[in-house]
Amino acid sequence: MKQALSLTLCAAFLLCLLAPVARHMQERPFVQRVGVSPQPAVMRFVTADQKQIFGALEVLKVLIYYGTSLEKAQQHQDIVHDFQGMYPLIKTATRLDPYNMDAYYFAQAILVWDMRRIDEANALLDYGMQYRTWDFYLPFFAGFNHAYFLKDYDKATFYYKRAGELTGSDLFIRLASRYMYEANQTGLAIAYLQTMKAGARNETIKKSFDLRLTAFMAVKRIEDAQAAFLRDLGRPAKTIEEIAQAGYLATPVIDPYGGTFYLDNTGRVRTTSKFAALPSNNAK
Amino acid sequence: MDAITIEALSKTFKGKRGRSVEALQGLQLSIPPGEVFGFLGPNGAGKSTTIKILMGLIRATGGQASIMGIPVSSHTARRNVGYLPENPSFYDYLTAEEYLNFTGKMFGMTGPMLHERSQAMLHRLDLWEARQRPIRTYSKGMTQRLGLAQALLHDPQVYILDEPMSGLDPIGRALVKEIILELKAAGKCVFFSTHITSDAEAICDRVGIILQGRLQCVERVETIMTPDAELSPGDSAQQSLEKFFLEIVRKGSH
Amino acid sequence: MHHLILITWKGLLRDRILQGILVATGIFLFIPSVSVLSMRQVGELAITLSLSLTSFILLLIAIFCGGTALWKDIDRHSIYSVLGLPISRTNYLLGKFFGIAGFLLLISLVLGLLASATIWYVSLTDPPARPILWTNILMALTFDCLKYIMVVAVSFLFSTVSTSFFLPIFGTITLFLGGNVTQEVYDYLQTPAGAALPALTKQIALFLYYLLPNFAVFDLKANAVYSIPLPANGILLPLAYSLAYCGLLLSAAAMLFTRRELH
Repeated sequence: MKQALSLTLCAAFLLCLLAPVARHMQERPFVQRVGVSPQPAVMRFVTADQKQIFGALEVLKVLIYYGTSLEKAQQHQDIVHDFQGMYPLIKTATRLDPYNMDAYYFAQAILVWDMRRIDEANALLDYGMQYRTWDFYLPFFAGFNHAYFLKDYDKATFYYKRAGELTGSDLFIRLASRYMYEANQTGLAIAYLQTMKAGARNETIKKSFDLRLTAFMAVKRIEDAQAAFLRDLGRPAKTIEEIAQAGYLATPVIDPYGGTFYLDNTGRVRTTSKFAALPSNNAK
Repeated sequence: MDAITIEALSKTFKGKRGRSVEALQGLQLSIPPGEVFGFLGPNGAGKSTTIKILMGLIRATGGQASIMGIPVSSHTARRNVGYLPENPSFYDYLTAEEYLNFTGKMFGMTGPMLHERSQAMLHRLDLWEARQRPIRTYSKGMTQRLGLAQALLHDPQVYILDEPMSGLDPIGRALVKEIILELKAAGKCVFFSTHITSDAEAICDRVGIILQGRLQCVERVETIMTPDAELSPGDSAQQSLEKFFLEIVRKGSH
Repeated sequence: MHHLILITWKGLLRDRILQGILVATGIFLFIPSVSVLSMRQVGELAITLSLSLTSFILLLIAIFCGGTALWKDIDRHSIYSVLGLPISRTNYLLGKFFGIAGFLLLISLVLGLLASATIWYVSLTDPPARPILWTNILMALTFDCLKYIMVVAVSFLFSTVSTSFFLPIFGTITLFLGGNVTQEVYDYLQTPAGAALPALTKQIALFLYYLLPNFAVFDLKANAVYSIPLPANGILLPLAYSLAYCGLLLSAAAMLFTRRELH
C-alpha cells in the first residue's frame, strides 16, 4: 500500500516535471546546444574503429543545429549563430572520416557564405580532394571560392578544369570563364547557386540555397535596371530609389535576408543584411 | 600395479604477506584395485588438496602421484578415473542427458553404447524423470547424484570422490553406499574423502586419517573395530571409528 | 576438443545474451530513417551505420563473452568437473575459444545479412555516389569478425591470470582502444612533428606499435562505405596477421593456464 502510494506520488511528480524540463532544454542558447567536440586527435583515439559513424554524427549534429537556427532566423527571431562552434565540429568530422562528403558540403555552405573564412574552407577542400579523388564537387567548390571571393582566376581555372575532367564535361569551365572574364560576380554566384540547388537533396540546405539565390536574383534585377538607366539616361544612378522613380524597377526589390538594398559609393549593389541571416555576423 | 600411488607428496601454498602454508607434507599412500579407501580428516586437513593434485587441478610442490601407473600431471591419467568434485557444479544450461552425453564423448564413448550407459546411469541415480530439465533447476542432491552418474558413466577402474555423501538425503546416502559396494565387488578402486565417520565405517576397507597436512595413520577398518586392538584406547567394548578418529585428532593436535 | 566447442556454443545460444542481441538488431530498422538526415551521402551513411552497429554488437559480445568465459567456469566451479575429464588445459582453453569464435562468426553472418538488407533497402531510393561494392562490404564484415575474434583471444590471455572478470573485461577494453590507436601514433611519428620527439619516446612508441595488437589493419569500413578498391595486400596481410597474433595470444594463454592452480 505504502509502496503504491509512493509510486503514484513519484510518477505524478515526474509527470509534472517533464514539460518544464523539456522547455528548459528547448530554451538553452544555441551555443550550448551545438556543443563542443574534443580535439580531432583525442576523438581519433576514443572513437577506436568507429571513426566513420562519429564523423557522421558530428556533421548531423551541426546540420540539425543549423536547420533549427535557420528556421528561427526566418521567423526573424534574435538568435546567436554559433558558427565558431560549428567549424571545429566539421573539421573534426573530416579528420575522423576524410571521405565524409557531408562535412565538405556543409563547410562550403556555411564557411564561405556566412563566415567568409575562405582560406579555411579551401584548406578543408584541398584535404578532401586527396581522398575523394573521384568527386567533382570539391574542385568545383574550390574553383568558385577562388573566383568569386578571392578573385584568383588562375587558381580558379585550375580547379574548374579539374572538376571538368572528373565530370567529363567542360560546362563549368566555360560558364565560369565567361563570368570571370566579365568580372561578373553576380553571374558567377547565380551559376554556382543554381548548380548547388539542383544537386541539393536535403531540404534545409535547399532552402538556404533558395534564399541566397533569391537574394542574388534581386541583385541581378537591380544591376540590370542600373545598366538600363545608364544606357538610356547617359549617367549612373545614385540610389535605387532614383532607378525606381525613373521606372526601371516595376516592383520594389526585397532582400530575403531582411535587409535593405542600396548603392555604395562605387555604384555597387549592397544590402544592409550583407546576405546573412544573422545580425551579429560582420562579414568582411 | 596399484590403482593409486602417492609418494612423498607435498604442497606448499604461498599465503599472504609472503607466509607459506604447508597444506600437505610427505604424503605416502598406495591403494590397490578392488579396495574402498576412506580419506578422513577435519576441514582444512588436506583432503581436498590431495584430491586436486590427483586430478591435476593443482600441482604438487614435491613428490609424485600416479593413477594406474600414469603420472597425474598428464591428462591421460584421468581416462581411468571417475571424479566427483566436492559440491559439484556442471554447465547448468545443459540437461542431465546432454551433460552425460558430453562427458561420455570426452571419454571416447560413442553411439549406442554411450546412449545405453547414460540411460542406465540416469535410472540408477534416480534422475530419469528430470533428465530433460536444465541442470540449473536441480536441487543440491540431484546435482550430487548427477555428479556420481558422470563419474560412473564410462566404467573406469578408479573412482575419486570428494565428499560423495554431502548434500544427500538418507535415501541418497544409502544409494551411494550401495553403489560403492557394487564397485568394490566389481574390483574397482574407490578413493573418497569424508568427515563423516559412520559412512566410512560402513563401506571402507581401509581408512587414512589426515591432520594438518600430515597423514596420521592408515588402518584397516576391521582392525579398528576389533575391541581389543592395541590401537584402540579406552575401556569401552563398543568400539567405533568415530572414537578412534577423535582420539587421533586429540593426539595429533598436541 | 570439438565436443567442448559444441557445448560452449550451446551455452552461448541458450544464454540471455542472445536475447540482448536480438533486441539490439531492432536498431537496424531505424537506420533508413536516420540515413536521410545526411545531405550528400544517404547511401553512404546507411552503410556506415549498418557496419558500425554490426561492429559494435560484435565488440560487446567479444568483450563480455570472452572476458567472462573462464571466469564463469571458475566462479561457478563447473571447471572442476570439466577438467576432471581427460582433456588438457590447452584443449579446454581452445575449446572455449573456438566455441566463442564460432558464435561470433554465426552472429556476424546474421548481422551481416541484416546490414546488407538495410543497405540494399536504402540504396533503392538513395544510391551512394559510387556503386556499392558488395565484396568490400563482405570483406569489411569478415575482417570485423576476425578483429573481434582476436579481441576474444586478448580477453582469454587476461582471463588466464585473473581471478575475477575485472581484468579480462577492462584490460581488454583498454587494449582494444590501445590497439586501435597505435597506428595513429606510428603515423604521427612519420610526420616532422613526430620526428622531433625525444628518441626515447619514439623508441617506446615504436615498441608498443609492434607489441600491441594493431586493430587498425582490420578496419575496411572506409573501403566499404565509399567503394574504394581493396588491394590484395589489404586482405592477405591482415588475414595472416590475425592468424599469427591469435596464435601467439592463445599460446601464451595456454602456457599460463596450464601452470595455473585451480583451488
